[in-house]
Order: sequence, then C-alpha cells, then structure tokens
Amino acid sequence: MRLLTAVVATAALALTACGGGDPAKSEGKTQIKLYNDKGAWSPYFKDIGALSKQQIGLEMEPVGYTDAPTYDAFIKASFRTSVKPDLFTWHTGGQLEEIVKAGQVADTSSLWNEAIGKGYLPESLKPYYTYDGKQYCVPLNIAYWVMFYNKKVFDDAGLQPPKTWADMMTAAAALKAKGVTPFYATSQLFNFVWFQQLLIGEDPQLYNDLATGKAKFTDPGVVKVMQQWKSLIDMGYMSDPGDKTDPQELLKSGKVAMAPFGTWFNTSMTQVGMKPGTDYGMFTIPNVNPANTKTTLLFESGPLCILDKAPDKAASMKFAQWWLEPAAQEKWATSRGDVSANPKVTIPDPSLNEINKAAGSSDVALSSRFFELVPAPILTAALDAFGAFSVKPGDYQKQLATLQKAADDYWAKAGK
Amino acid sequence: MTKRSRRGGLASSDRLGGYGFVSPAVLLVAGLLYLPFLYTVYLGFTDYDGLYPASFVGLENFRRFLEDPALTTSVRNTLMWAVGATVIPVGLGLLIAVLSYGIRGGAIYRLPFMLPYALSGAGLAVIWGFILQSGGAANDVLGALGLPGATMRFLVEEPANTIAMIIALTWQQAGVNALLFLVGLQSIPKEPQEAARLDGATGWRLFRHVTWPLLAPLTTVVVGLSLVASLKTFDIVWVTTQGGPGRNSETLAVTMYRDAFVSAEYGYGAAVAFALSLVTGAVSFMYLRRQMSASKEGIV
Repeated sequence: MRLLTAVVATAALALTACGGGDPAKSEGKTQIKLYNDKGAWSPYFKDIGALSKQQIGLEMEPVGYTDAPTYDAFIKASFRTSVKPDLFTWHTGGQLEEIVKAGQVADTSSLWNEAIGKGYLPESLKPYYTYDGKQYCVPLNIAYWVMFYNKKVFDDAGLQPPKTWADMMTAAAALKAKGVTPFYATSQLFNFVWFQQLLIGEDPQLYNDLATGKAKFTDPGVVKVMQQWKSLIDMGYMSDPGDKTDPQELLKSGKVAMAPFGTWFNTSMTQVGMKPGTDYGMFTIPNVNPANTKTTLLFESGPLCILDKAPDKAASMKFAQWWLEPAAQEKWATSRGDVSANPKVTIPDPSLNEINKAAGSSDVALSSRFFELVPAPILTAALDAFGAFSVKPGDYQKQLATLQKAADDYWAKAGK
Repeated sequence: MTKRSRRGGLASSDRLGGYGFVSPAVLLVAGLLYLPFLYTVYLGFTDYDGLYPASFVGLENFRRFLEDPALTTSVRNTLMWAVGATVIPVGLGLLIAVLSYGIRGGAIYRLPFMLPYALSGAGLAVIWGFILQSGGAANDVLGALGLPGATMRFLVEEPANTIAMIIALTWQQAGVNALLFLVGLQSIPKEPQEAARLDGATGWRLFRHVTWPLLAPLTTVVVGLSLVASLKTFDIVWVTTQGGPGRNSETLAVTMYRDAFVSAEYGYGAAVAFALSLVTGAVSFMYLRRQMSASKEGIV
C-alpha cells in the first residue's frame, strides 16, 4: 500500500505536470498567496499580510509547508500547471540558479536598483541574487551563523563568551568537567554546520574552492578538518546525534551549553520561553586559525520569488517592492526576533544588533553557508557523508572519498 | 429481458449497454492504477527532473542504480525487513491466537495486542522515535533495570536501527495477525481435532500435526501480505530516521522516495520504483506459486 501510494503520488505529480497551459489571468488581485516551506512562521507571515492590506491594499495569505521535499516538488510542479503561486520562498545558490536558468523566475532588477538607491538593501547582498547580470527574487530573510549559549550554564561555570578558538576549547573543557555537553550536533539536516565552521575558520580559500571544484574533499586541508571534528566528538564535546530532542530544548534544559545556528534560531529560542539577553546569548564563532586576520561570519539569505508567469505579476511585484520598505521589514524582523535585510531597520534585541553591527564591520568577512555554497547534488552527498561520519567518526576518509566521487561526477557532467 | 445472439452471447445493443455500465469502473482503475504505473515505467527511462521536459536515456538510470554504493545497504535492510517483519509479527500473532483461543477471558488478554493497530504508520514512527532515540525511554528503562543497552544508540547504529524499527512494527502488527489467525482457528473443522484428542494428542503434538496444517491456507495469506508489506517498508523508516544517519537504515522504498522527491530526480526515482515493483512482484509470485502448488499436492 505504501509503495502504491508513493507510485500514485509520483504519477499524479507527473500527470499534473502534463496539464500545462497558460495560467488563468486574474488582473487586479487584492489578495495574493505566499507559498513557503516555513510553516512554523505562519503567525509572522499573517502579521505581514494584515499590514500589507492596510498599507497597500493587497492582502497576503501564507500557505505554509513543513516538509521541504514536498514543498520543492509542489513549486516545481507549479511551473507546468495552472496552479501557480503569487509569491514563493526558495533557496539561494545552485537551486535558485537552476530555476532562473529554466526561465521560471521574474526579473527583479528594477526593485533591487530602487531599494539599493534608497538604502533599503546593501549592495553586498546583490551577488547572491544575480545571474547573468540580472537580479531575481528579493531577500525574504538574512541570517548570520553564530553560537547560541545558555547564560545560566555559562555563569555557573564562571565562563564568558569566548573571543578566540582556544578560549572556546577551554570553556568546552570546563563545561564537560561539570557534566554539561559543550556543543550541539546532529546527524540530520544541520550535520554540515561543524564542517563549515571548522573549515572556514581554518582556511576560507579552501572552503570556497570546494564550491567551484578547484579543491577536493580528499585534500589534506579537508582531511585535517575532519580529524579535528573527530577529536571534538572523541573528547565528548558534541551532543549525541541520535537524540531527537529539539536543540532549543537541549539548550533550555542546560544539558547542552552551546549550539551553532543561524540567527533565525532566535525565534525557536523565544518560542520555548527563553528570554534573549537574560536566559541566553549569542556570540560570533572565533576562527580556528588565529592567524586569519578577519573573523569569517557565515551567512545565508532566503529568497522570496515571483514566477515569470505569476497569476498577477504586477500585484506580486507590488508586494515585493513594499516588502523591502522599512515598515514591512520592521514588522517582520521584530515579530520574529531576527535581523533584517534592510540595514535601516533596527531591532530591540541587543545581542542581535551587536551581531548585525559586527557583520558590517571591517574586522569581519562574510561567507556563504555551505548549504548554498555547493551545487545541490554535492550537497546531498555531503549531507549523507557527514551524517554517516557523525555516527562513525573513524570512517572519515571513506566518507570523504565517497563525497569526492559524487563531486567528480557532478563536475564531469557540468563540464560537458 | 436480456437479448441473446445465436451463439449465446449478448446482442450488440446489450453488449453496448454492458460496456456503458462497466466503463466508469474501468476508467477509474485505468486512470488511477494502470496509467500512473505505465507513466512511472516510462519516466524510469528518462532524465525527468521536474524542470525540463523528460528526455529518453535508455537504461542509464538502471545502470546508475546498480552502481550506487548505497544499494548494498538498501538491499540488505530491505531483506532484513522482509524476513524480520514477516517472521516475528506472524509468529507472535500465531502464538497470541493459539494461547488465547478457547480460554476464559481470551479477548481481554488479546486486547493489549490489538490496540496498537489503531495507530497510523506515521504515528507509530513518531512514538517509537521518542522511545528509541538516544537517551530516550528505552535507554532509561534498560538503565533502571540494570540491563545492557542503557547506552545503546538504537536509531544511530546499524543494523540496530533497522532491528529496533522491526520490533516497533511487530508491536503494532502482531495483534492484527493474531486476529486473522483467530478467525482461522474458529473456522477450521472441529472433527479432526476431536478425533486427534480421542487418540491422545494434546498440546504441542495436537498443534503441530493437526491445528497447524489446518491453518496453512490462512498462514499463506498472512505471510504473503506481511512479506509484500515489508518489502515496501517506507513510512516508519522515513519518519523515524529518514533512512539515516548517512543512509544506513534506508530501504529500497526510502531510496526511491529520496531519489525522486528529495533529490528531485524523478526519472531516476521512477526507475528505482520500477525495480522495486519487479522485486515485490517476483517475490510475491514465487511465494504464492510455491504455496499454492503445495496446497494442490495435498501436502496440507
């Protein structure tokens, strides 16, 4: 029965894909739907929808998915059917490039030029949304990858947020001695986090070269990173990857002291009743190699896109234009407790503002998160390899070899 | 009155009417079963990715499937499911049915085994995910009782994760198998059993030589159903471990879903689906053929 369901689902998707045809035009919409894979953010999307109705007479209703593959499959199916979203969230990097190349996404260069001119978007964000000199989509959110920590656990152990990697290791040893697991780790989706953090903190060039195929996952620099990651696991510094407890719960309970996440994790922390600045804080993760002059802050940005054949493209563009303005961004950032892509927007949370300030300083270099950095097939292989590694750290060379094989296959195909 | 032609068949007008009556059902079956199946087979020979029109790639997907390093793990796990999730729940179901049949309050003893069947596959996976996770209820109970396994990472280590999930499925399936065997026990003729009892057969001997052979036709069906269901195992694995970590608990059905929907390689995923359908069909056919011919030969 299970197979049958899956087969019918595949076929149903395929059959709808055959439907084709032009989208039903409905000019002058007063209500638009925003499809997203962030179902947990529905209340915040609804707040924005109410505000847009009030300010530009265009009500936005969110349609939230919680399962990423189902969502991605729906969006891709919509390209070939008449059921098309007015707006939809997507991913930057290779996945955005893929749908842009397929001619599905509306050009938003005019919105970008206007927003940069008014200071609503920083120029530095533009490359992540640019293909062949044109911009596509607008930023739904931005997030910096930082370390969240439980303040009470740190206070009990007499610790301060570390400024150097050595300080962080000293803190980890002290926490371990008190029976607290220093760091959060997982074998599932976010299993790439420690890899990206250890590699970017050691050798930013090697990190970026992996994305272009110039470097191999079997290079000595990558092997060294895996050995370092293994040693952190061997020392008992990482939480058990088989624990299905949410990281915010682990931090709240004090079982785990620190968790590396994007600043969007702030929303998860406040949702479990933790108070920013009092119960928990965040700090930029220091470089592993102290010789690196700039601290590298990993960064991600999720796009809000418009289909080239959107049901009412003008209405969708109107919403996207308004979305970038301070009023919308203030509401969005404040309600979620996250940073905004609009530099003019400040948020009440002092820790977040500090991170936001650090991100703009000359001591910090921004770099794309591993998830968006590498092409999708390599990412899939990497997530498998890191998942297997988290369970059997001793197998790191085997995992790196398998991963490199997938990378070789991808680059060989891409070069054809 | 129905008109008949000279050759005994229906007259053409009646035949036409007959087609009219059956066509909705035929269209429904064709539209929902045959067409999707044929379309999936077709997709298996293409590189369809959901973005661009599908183009024919011949046997490339099947070659890739056979060369996939994860295939060995996937096949091994599927075989573990096929054996474990057939033998254990069916055996336990038979034991529950036989032990509780014909005794006072039997229904009350059976009730706890029946209740888990009310859960959906996903619900079962969520509950057992919490029990089996590292530091979860299973570890706590084993620790409290001083038994080994208190620090065992049930969902992380292979093949422990597959075995743990088979146990979870057994918890749900044993009851319904017991119910089926109970129906069988109630329907088998009383005379041979009474005759055997008069001849002095009791307990194990009575079961082994009289009851068990009489239950054989039903056992064929129960084992057949369990075998096919276990070859297609998907929901419990996907919800509990998503086939991980590092693909180590993946079954063929999970491989298919992952390739088709997570990696958005619908052509390749369809090829895996086709291969899995062939395996399931072949195993079911061989099993039923063997069992049926055994019945005809009067072995049972």
